[in-house]
Amino acid sequence: MKVPLRWLQEFIDLPTTDVDELTYAFDFLGLTVEGVEEHVAGWSDVFVGKVTDIQPHPDADKIRVCQVDVGNGPSQIICGAWNFGVGAVVPVAVPGAILPGDFQIGQRTIRGVESNGMICSEQELGLGEDHAGILVLGDDIEIGVRLEDVLEVPDVVFELDVTPNRPDALSIMGVARDLAAWFDIEHHVPSLPMTTVPGATSIEVDIEDTHGCRRFTAREIQGVEIGPSPFKVRHRLHKVGVRSISNVVDVTNYVMFELGHPLHAFDADSIVGDRLVVKRADAGEKLVTLDGEERALVAEDLIIYDEDGPTSMSGTMGGERSEVSDTTSRVLMEAASWDPPTIMRMWRRYDLRSEAATRFERGVDPSLADVANQRASAMVVALSGGEVLEGAVDVVTTPMEPLQVSLAMKYVRRILGDGFDESQVSDILTRLGMTVEAGDPLAVTVPTFRPDLTRDADLIEEVARIHGFDKFDATLPTGPAGGLTVEQKRSRELVEALTAAGLDQAINLPFVNPVDLEPLGYGDADLLTVNNPLREEESKLRPTMLAGLLSSLRYNLSHGAADVGFFEIGRVFSTEPNVEDPRLPAQTDRLAWAVVGGTGMRGLSGATHQVDGSTSLALWRHLSRRLDLDDVAIEAAAPAGYHPGRSASLTLRGETIGHVGELAPAAARHYEISGRVAVAEIDLGPILTERAPALASAPSVYPFVDFDLSFLISIDQQAQPLLEVTVAAGGDLVESARVFDEFPGAGDGQKALAIRYRLRAGDRTLTNDEVAPVRQAMIEAADGLGAVLRGV
Amino acid sequence: MDAVQSLDEAIESASTAVESADDLEQLAAVETSLLGPDSVVGVVRKSMGRLDPQERPKVGAKLNEASVAIGGLLDSRRSVLEVEEESRRLADEKIDVTLESITIPSGVKHLVQKVIDDTVDIFVGLGYQVASGPEAELAFYNFDALNTPPDHPSRWDSDTMYLDFGDPGDEVLLRTQTSPVQARWMESHDPPVYIVVPGRTYRKDTIDATHLPVFHQIEGLAVDSNLQFSDLKGTLLHWAREFFGPQSEVRLRPHFFPFTEPSAELDVSCFSCDGGQPGCRVCGGAGWLELLGCGMVDPFVLETAGYDPYEVSGFAFGMGPERLAMVRYGIDSMKHFIENDVRFLRQFG
Repeated sequence: MKVPLRWLQEFIDLPTTDVDELTYAFDFLGLTVEGVEEHVAGWSDVFVGKVTDIQPHPDADKIRVCQVDVGNGPSQIICGAWNFGVGAVVPVAVPGAILPGDFQIGQRTIRGVESNGMICSEQELGLGEDHAGILVLGDDIEIGVRLEDVLEVPDVVFELDVTPNRPDALSIMGVARDLAAWFDIEHHVPSLPMTTVPGATSIEVDIEDTHGCRRFTAREIQGVEIGPSPFKVRHRLHKVGVRSISNVVDVTNYVMFELGHPLHAFDADSIVGDRLVVKRADAGEKLVTLDGEERALVAEDLIIYDEDGPTSMSGTMGGERSEVSDTTSRVLMEAASWDPPTIMRMWRRYDLRSEAATRFERGVDPSLADVANQRASAMVVALSGGEVLEGAVDVVTTPMEPLQVSLAMKYVRRILGDGFDESQVSDILTRLGMTVEAGDPLAVTVPTFRPDLTRDADLIEEVARIHGFDKFDATLPTGPAGGLTVEQKRSRELVEALTAAGLDQAINLPFVNPVDLEPLGYGDADLLTVNNPLREEESKLRPTMLAGLLSSLRYNLSHGAADVGFFEIGRVFSTEPNVEDPRLPAQTDRLAWAVVGGTGMRGLSGATHQVDGSTSLALWRHLSRRLDLDDVAIEAAAPAGYHPGRSASLTLRGETIGHVGELAPAAARHYEISGRVAVAEIDLGPILTERAPALASAPSVYPFVDFDLSFLISIDQQAQPLLEVTVAAGGDLVESARVFDEFPGAGDGQKALAIRYRLRAGDRTLTNDEVAPVRQAMIEAADGLGAVLRGV
Repeated sequence: MDAVQSLDEAIESASTAVESADDLEQLAAVETSLLGPDSVVGVVRKSMGRLDPQERPKVGAKLNEASVAIGGLLDSRRSVLEVEEESRRLADEKIDVTLESITIPSGVKHLVQKVIDDTVDIFVGLGYQVASGPEAELAFYNFDALNTPPDHPSRWDSDTMYLDFGDPGDEVLLRTQTSPVQARWMESHDPPVYIVVPGRTYRKDTIDATHLPVFHQIEGLAVDSNLQFSDLKGTLLHWAREFFGPQSEVRLRPHFFPFTEPSAELDVSCFSCDGGQPGCRVCGGAGWLELLGCGMVDPFVLETAGYDPYEVSGFAFGMGPERLAMVRYGIDSMKHFIENDVRFLRQFG
């Protein structure tokens, strides 16, 4: 909503015109200032003059010799523009004037003829781009006044962001009312009395849809003459961003901006028959709106019909068939109140966000309808001539009574604090146009122009607003003890652990294209679908985190990165019902990672490790140590999308909770990633639940004994069972066992595993006699797995 | 020449020999020549058994004197040479300290996660708990329970994404705000309530510099027997000073949200220019940063949760971590938050 200060000042005698002070007032009234346009006069000494005579120049074809009166008799000015004739009212820069660009106007002689000044175009005045001709001002303007007074400059136009609950503030009057409450001063609507002549409106109005139309007023004005609006009206409409059409149409907009109630002017002679009917459309009916578009109506549209069918779209846009034209002489001025949701749906349906629709969707005060109609009718007469017929149509289907709300001071103080007393609250509400009966609770009558105030809480907001949000103290409540839950703390720990391992955290959109899921082993079934996606290829919600992570790897590889590792915490979805609330689909928090390139981690032999399935296992073990996850077992597995020989499942109490390993090469190819990719995807819930902390055991102070055993086992066998049986055979003395070398090329389908064992007793120094049997027991146990001690 | 005389001469000449050794290797050779089996000392020591018993104590004493004297010379020379040798070795071991020859792997938390964690920590410090809830949510919790009118445009499928799931009566959507968690929490908890709810939210917005279809919110809710408008202001002032710095000021401006009454927008004083410097990169000269929406919880919302709005009151606020990150770190486009470009992410390690 654009509000020109000069126009506003007709409604309120403001205590200040300082832009910053007014901006503060608007901002703290909740009418946030989005922008401020300052209109200034770029000239000096330009006056309104009237052209009294025009003669050809004796010595030049393209220029003319004009006599112009700026209030002190004709003065001769040479002019090169031809868009005006004798009698035209024009801006005249007199000698001594300065135009934009520091252009000095003096007395000159042009081809032998004296010229005392200049008749100006819009462009020369810095008002617009039009330089084709002179700015012709219109006959209604007084000769001799300064152009600044005509154009109302200097002026400031405030662009206010009016929240959707405030239909009343979409008007100069409503803004003035808020400011009046803020500054505690009066405001008023400039008087514009309507006179009528005997007779009644010839057109009847039937409201068939009483839900859609709350009130319909219509008034007939005869004998109007269509023409351009006076300059002041056109210029004010220009400042609020509305194009001038004609004196009658401009009036409907002008009064709408003043009072906030939209109006529509019909050409009464174009209405077929003598009856307008308001009802819902029949689907498929056609209506050509003012913008020339043919609209195919749907059954919910609220339409004004005449005998020939649809003729106007209620509250949104009029119809072309009955619009006011150059030849209109009989006008039917309509001011009607429409059901907000109906209008909201209708303008959205046709993408017709008109000024009228913007107001109606918020709820225009029905009691304003005839006030606006009278004002508009009076203004039509003032601008276009004609006479208003006394008998008007005023159909009220839903009488609107002011609302009674009782407001307990205890509740005011509960929300706003103890500092508020009854008289202060009563005063503020009264300043806003409410009637307040003293007492506790206060009995407040809310006028119909504030449909947003229906409850005591709404009134409390008004009290706070006019009191000034800025005047409230800042206090800190003393809440109870809070804190993070175990799961939340462990989730933080998880992020710390993974970043410490060199992975960066990613955030991907959860929408996926099924094409990108197939290589990861997911079909179309069970994918949760968005009914109205942004784009069709983003209509599925992810069942796996990997698609996004792999896309992120691809993105970075294609931008020059070589070693990239991401983890992400997010939610996956399926069409299964949610366990906790079966009305919802299953949605599970997951942790996933995807790593490619070199890791900077040290491998078994001490060399820098190129990422592969083992990286994932290393990351998991790192995480497992940080989060005490030794209850989660690693088992070789070949889940879809993973490398079948380099992947594992994670199980907790028999339930699979995730997979770690290496991405299947086919999937890597699909995502255009060369090199091995370490991936994992793990349900977050089971690994975040609390683990009981282990009880401490004191480290032994006695010396250790290390020895190495190197075994040959089948290449298909895993290290873990060998470690387990040998450690078990070693008994309590075994402190640790670690594979320090794996040699796959031992021949005969065998690999060599070198293991370092450390023995230590908690209560004594071990002797050689104690070590030898342990070593022997280990070798025998290994033999049970088919592992043979390698020749030393 | 008798043994004693030879030993005296050996002692005499040892000093020159020891000093002539320039490194530990040479010193070892000198030691062999002075104390080894073929040295004067070594030969005398071997001959001791064959000596006249009367001579033996005298020669023995001299032999001992020679061993100690020569050994002492060797030891002190060795100490000198060892220090010299270590100095040489250390000089040889010099590394180029400007070269990053070994890198300890270190990744970064996503900036949005960092902003969430920082903000959550501030409220945890005030006694809040952290709550979460479904992202695929019932329309009831996302809209109805929060006082959104049935016709409100935010419900339309041009703004909200709906899911192909469930009964027509229990419409399921991708939550457009974290506020439904408020409603769910209040349904299952009695006051006092002090929660923050960080989480992902969804709107049907095309990706551009200021919009993402999926972004985050941090919702805050406090409901207690005595909460007032000034508590909202004080709480957000505390947050602003923790988040942006102790010099921060806040102001609340009236606004409109269906689930709060009164509703406000929070402005925080610009942390960069200290108030309205023309052309400030952060605030554009306004002096204030428009950061979030908040207000006192609407009585309808309290009633829907089964609370009595005349017995308890509260406040709520909702902030966008992406927006906070953009303001705080001077980020020009929201696209950076979902592109996962490591060149962007690693700036905030």
